[in-house]
Amino acid sequence: MMETLLLAIVAAPGVTCLALSLAWLAGWTPSERFVGRLTAAVFGLMAAGVIWLGWLMIASGTPSVRVSLGEWFRAGNYYFPLAMLADRLSMPMVAMTVALAGIAGSFSVRYVHRDQGFFRFFLLLHLFAFGALTAFTAGSFDVLIGGWELVGVTSVLLIAFFGERPEPARNAVRVFANYRIADVGLLLASFVLHHSGSTLFTPMLPGEWPDQTSRLAGPEVLLAGFLLLIAASGKSAQGPFAGWLPRAMEGPTPSSSIFYGAVSIHLGAYLLLRFEPVIQAEPVVAVATVATGLLTAFMATVANRVATDVKTSLAFASMTQLGIIFAEIGMGFPRFALLHIVGHAVVRTLQLLRAPSTLHDYHRMHAAAGGELGQTDTLLAALPTGLRLWLYRFGLERGFHDAWLDRLVVLPVMRLARVLGRAPIGPGRKA
Amino acid sequence: MSAGASPQERLAAIVEHQAHLLPAQGPIGVFIHHNTLHAFQHLPFERAVTEAAKLYGTEPYMNAAGFREAIDSGRIQPEDIDTILSREPEVKLWAAGPAIRELRRAMLLPGVREFRPETIDWEMREGGMLDHFRLDVPPAARAALSSDTAAELFGFCLANTASQPEKAGQPKRPRDGVRAATGVDIDDVVQPLTIKLCGAFLDQGLGFWTMPYRAEGFWPASRRLLSQPLTMEPRGLRRLAEFARMAATWNRTEAVMRFLELLGVGESEWESVIQAELLALPGWAGLMSQLEAEPELAPHEPVPASLMDFLAVRLLLTTAATASATGVPGDWRHERAPTTDPEAARLARAAAVFDALQLAGISSRALSALSPGEVQHVFQTIESFGDWGRRMVLHLAYEERHARQILLPLARHRGQSRLDQPGRMAAQAIFCIDEREESIRRHLEETDPAIETLGSAGFFAVAMNYTGIDDAHGAALCPVVVKPRHAVTERPVHSDQESYGRRQALRKLLARNSHNWFNSSRTMLRGWLGSAGLGLFTIFPLAGRVLNPLRYGRLVKWLNDAVVPQPRTELAFMREHSTQHAASDGLLQGFEVDERVERVAAVLGTAGLRSGLARLVVVLGHGSTSLNNPHESAHDCGACGGRRGGPNGRLLAAMANHPDVRTKLRERGILIPDDTWFVGGYHDTCNDDVDLFDVETVPPTHAPDLTRVRAALDRARALSAHERARRFEAAAWGIDAAAGLQHVQERAEHLAEPRPEYGHCTNAVCIVGRRSTTRGLFLDRRAFLVSYDAAQDPHNSSLAALLGAVIPVCGGISLEYYFSFVDNEGYGCGTKLPHNVTGLMGVMNGYESDLRTGLPWQMVEIHEPVRLLFVVETSAERVVETIRKNPLLWEFLVNRWIRLAVLDPAGGPPLLYRDGVWEPVEGDDEELPEAASSADWYAGKRQHLPVAQIAKRDPRTAAA
Repeated sequence: MMETLLLAIVAAPGVTCLALSLAWLAGWTPSERFVGRLTAAVFGLMAAGVIWLGWLMIASGTPSVRVSLGEWFRAGNYYFPLAMLADRLSMPMVAMTVALAGIAGSFSVRYVHRDQGFFRFFLLLHLFAFGALTAFTAGSFDVLIGGWELVGVTSVLLIAFFGERPEPARNAVRVFANYRIADVGLLLASFVLHHSGSTLFTPMLPGEWPDQTSRLAGPEVLLAGFLLLIAASGKSAQGPFAGWLPRAMEGPTPSSSIFYGAVSIHLGAYLLLRFEPVIQAEPVVAVATVATGLLTAFMATVANRVATDVKTSLAFASMTQLGIIFAEIGMGFPRFALLHIVGHAVVRTLQLLRAPSTLHDYHRMHAAAGGELGQTDTLLAALPTGLRLWLYRFGLERGFHDAWLDRLVVLPVMRLARVLGRAPIGPGRKA
Repeated sequence: MSAGASPQERLAAIVEHQAHLLPAQGPIGVFIHHNTLHAFQHLPFERAVTEAAKLYGTEPYMNAAGFREAIDSGRIQPEDIDTILSREPEVKLWAAGPAIRELRRAMLLPGVREFRPETIDWEMREGGMLDHFRLDVPPAARAALSSDTAAELFGFCLANTASQPEKAGQPKRPRDGVRAATGVDIDDVVQPLTIKLCGAFLDQGLGFWTMPYRAEGFWPASRRLLSQPLTMEPRGLRRLAEFARMAATWNRTEAVMRFLELLGVGESEWESVIQAELLALPGWAGLMSQLEAEPELAPHEPVPASLMDFLAVRLLLTTAATASATGVPGDWRHERAPTTDPEAARLARAAAVFDALQLAGISSRALSALSPGEVQHVFQTIESFGDWGRRMVLHLAYEERHARQILLPLARHRGQSRLDQPGRMAAQAIFCIDEREESIRRHLEETDPAIETLGSAGFFAVAMNYTGIDDAHGAALCPVVVKPRHAVTERPVHSDQESYGRRQALRKLLARNSHNWFNSSRTMLRGWLGSAGLGLFTIFPLAGRVLNPLRYGRLVKWLNDAVVPQPRTELAFMREHSTQHAASDGLLQGFEVDERVERVAAVLGTAGLRSGLARLVVVLGHGSTSLNNPHESAHDCGACGGRRGGPNGRLLAAMANHPDVRTKLRERGILIPDDTWFVGGYHDTCNDDVDLFDVETVPPTHAPDLTRVRAALDRARALSAHERARRFEAAAWGIDAAAGLQHVQERAEHLAEPRPEYGHCTNAVCIVGRRSTTRGLFLDRRAFLVSYDAAQDPHNSSLAALLGAVIPVCGGISLEYYFSFVDNEGYGCGTKLPHNVTGLMGVMNGYESDLRTGLPWQMVEIHEPVRLLFVVETSAERVVETIRKNPLLWEFLVNRWIRLAVLDPAGGPPLLYRDGVWEPVEGDDEELPEAASSADWYAGKRQHLPVAQIAKRDPRTAAA
């Protein structure tokens, strides 16, 4: 029963997306009203399913529901297991995704009304929900990668939603590049895990979250830990990947809110929580996680204080909290980190959805306070002049992040590519 | 500029001159509609739109597809096109050939296709262009072409089309030349930094930290930031700090001149390079310029903005970027290589001529018989009637039909007196002239035929600086061209003093708290506590706001009323001594008796209400409240300077109730009966609430009158809301009036609603005349209605005052909608969906862009781009004489930024003004259908509806 329920919840948005796509391919573009009602019905049912499943689990005292769907394929020792897992980590994430994506969907029916991309938007929203739920309920690392990639692809396509203008397209490509680089970490981690045995979480991470242990041993732990940290940083805009988040604010407001306020941005943190025993097994990895988080939080909070537009400001506010969440995970507070994730996701979703009201809200607040809202830059004003200017510039240029990434990574890589392109190697070259 | 001026003065003059080309939009919190092409208003409309289109790269008219749809739907009739073309002299294409007019008509109907060099190859090989003539060639033309083939005709066209070498692209500014030479676009690094700096400098409170040294100005503050050590710039700006430090001692003018010198720009080129640099980021530059001219526009924090500062920063970045890209700042004079294939361009031009020739039925045989000079003339005639020229004719035809759709039914209707009530009316309701009030006025008269409505500019002649009990400081409630000289304050009535004190303290506390939350939820440590600890609880407002906005909104309102109840208030507007100034702002406190008399007379006299006032007169100001809408203020009252006009209605009523005022009015011939009582009110055009003020002071004798009017208003606002709902697809078909009202109320509370109301979207006409002329007409919320009675205005003085306000305000609204519609990306601000509020000043697209000015697509999407048609009910001579005396209005008229017609009360057909000539508008091509009620007429329809006559109702049965 619980297994079926779990599968139904995860499959629902995927089936919806597939059905809508097939209908479209067959030449029928459903009306806005139909799409709106279908979305409401699907998310309503999913929400009911989540509540039911949660109640069943609590009532029966089941800490986790594990479903094995067999294997996709097997080649020698290597096999691709299909398995689902809903435990005390997954369920809050699933509930959060269903609630927030459902609210964002309801919001979008009105918001995206009459836009030429209405249908596309909802296809992507369902596909995203399917990807996120797959990632959160994955019972094996391979399934998790599948969901992870779906989230990445839909995220990039929604950033480029207004593709007729150059900036969204350009920023979408930049985000895509960040994702791909971080995903290399994920893929390599999957090699390591396959090498060490099964990618199924059940034998790999025995016990129930948050009291899991890890079966991994030896140098693989260190390697896997770092690779997972890289992947998680990419998705959650931490450390070297911190530059893409404000650029992702090109899409329609509800997609910005559900991706970068709520679900997608926390996927990296979820990955670390899932592999918390692996992270904790190697102090070096744990320290690196804390350091990445705290450094990012510092950079982001300075950038946030300088930002003067509401979406950039919220992007850096998200990044700041994600940094702290990373630090919490690295320091070994998984329960608290989970609470922080869910609370933060809800706050940020509301703030991003309300972002266009900033003027209205601020004017009201200002008037009610009699025109005196109090200084907010006392900290900055207390600094010596030189430092004050420098710190402001640091924030204005978002920690010089784009500049150093371009100069130290992008340009050298492009130069290398150009050199390699001239070298007479590879099968495709003809004299 | 005199020859003796110094270079600094010449530079300042150039910058000041170029500033006019920038968008004249201030901070968006107070949105003022104005002619988007204000800088071109000295030119005739058709020339202005094309010159602006060339300068800004925008569209002059609605796009061809829009006109095509208008032709297909019958909105433009073939006769309209003929009317426009018949204004050209009758000239033959060649001695025995067809008339040029015929050729042009064929090019419009069925219309030529566009051929582009990029696709011409496909058109010829696979598009079937050369296989046969177009299938929609008119029969007569087809007959003339019978001995010809498509390939032959095209061959002739190609043989007679010479290749035109494409001109090399001269760089207008360093960016163009650098890109041509190196492929590097320096805007990639210059724009983002300029945008960030502008945002930081102009911020009104969104940023947590204020830009250091902001008070010194944009250039000094930016220069300091940019010369910081230990920074890392993108590669394209790696020499930034070097140039910023070099400029350490330069003031802004010096900096501009030095950077221009470094860039190798001589004084003769200053103007063109400065123009190009400013127009590269017009929104931000425009806001700098606006705030420089009027610093008080900044809503919260004054900033010393200056366009010269902006230019200095921009040129610093440009210099550094050019130097980084090419090594030397002056090295940018590289021409852009031609981009199109000259042969393809020739083929495309030949194809365009070929297309026109077949539609006109001119065969290659007919052409072969002509001399080479005549052939060239034919080709030139075709090529000179290009896309813009064709769209101009279609635009005029579109307006021609519109004028007929309005004027013919209006003329037919006015023969019939619609004052249903013999004797004294039960009540009068004075609304703003706003076209959005047309529906509620009509429904009010339909509901209770004993009520008469009037239209007067919504500040009701009371120009004041008003401070409400909930306001931090005063705001001008009057048209922007007027500077208020009087201050009025709202204060709690004596008995509510105490509760008011508690309320203010509590509100202040709540505001401080929410500001704290607003900021701290985004910072590091407090944000951590907030989101991890309290975050989860935000699910309630989130789910409530999104899933059930109306109920949630009511809950919040109920909580507000319970916790911080509104005190009863009164307006402090009496002044006994003639010169009592406030010490602080130099404004006169309130109005003394004579000043009050003047205001009341201005409203009642102009509207023709010198006598015949009912027992109750309601004066309704208006505004609009919506959530999640940065453009909220654009829906407020234009006559109140983009603010809400409730206090104006309230104040006018209070003034008119004053016995001394009434006595003095009698001396001026304005008779207010002793049993007449005025009540002020406020109409929210978004949720259709109507609030009446100070009803507790209404004498008990008038209680039944008030009850009757209140009931009629409630019915009318529901019907009006229902009528509005017909335009919204989110409202189901077949709902009743109550559901219609609920629908618009929900829109106002809905966070996700990008079109809480359609605003002025449907504006098209402005009728200045007696209500009896328009009463009973369904005008589809498309007409500004100004009450004016020429018979009571022998010297045209009221007309002069009235047109002086109405033409610029309504004309400005109409033109802003026109331009934002015809080019929503170029003149408007595009779709709202990716908008991002910046600095509490404006919106950007997404993450970082130019400040977007003008109106968003969601506000203009159902607009018909016509220039506003003024219909004045007076004689042609009187209106021209009045307008001629006011240079601004005269410019509007002779340069054709508005259309003007008169309905002479003495009789005769409507006359339409065209280039100094009054043309009668007659014919029976537009009917005046009759409908039983407004609701019957619009039921089941979403599109614009023609004018209709609403059947009279018996006042005795109607009240039921």
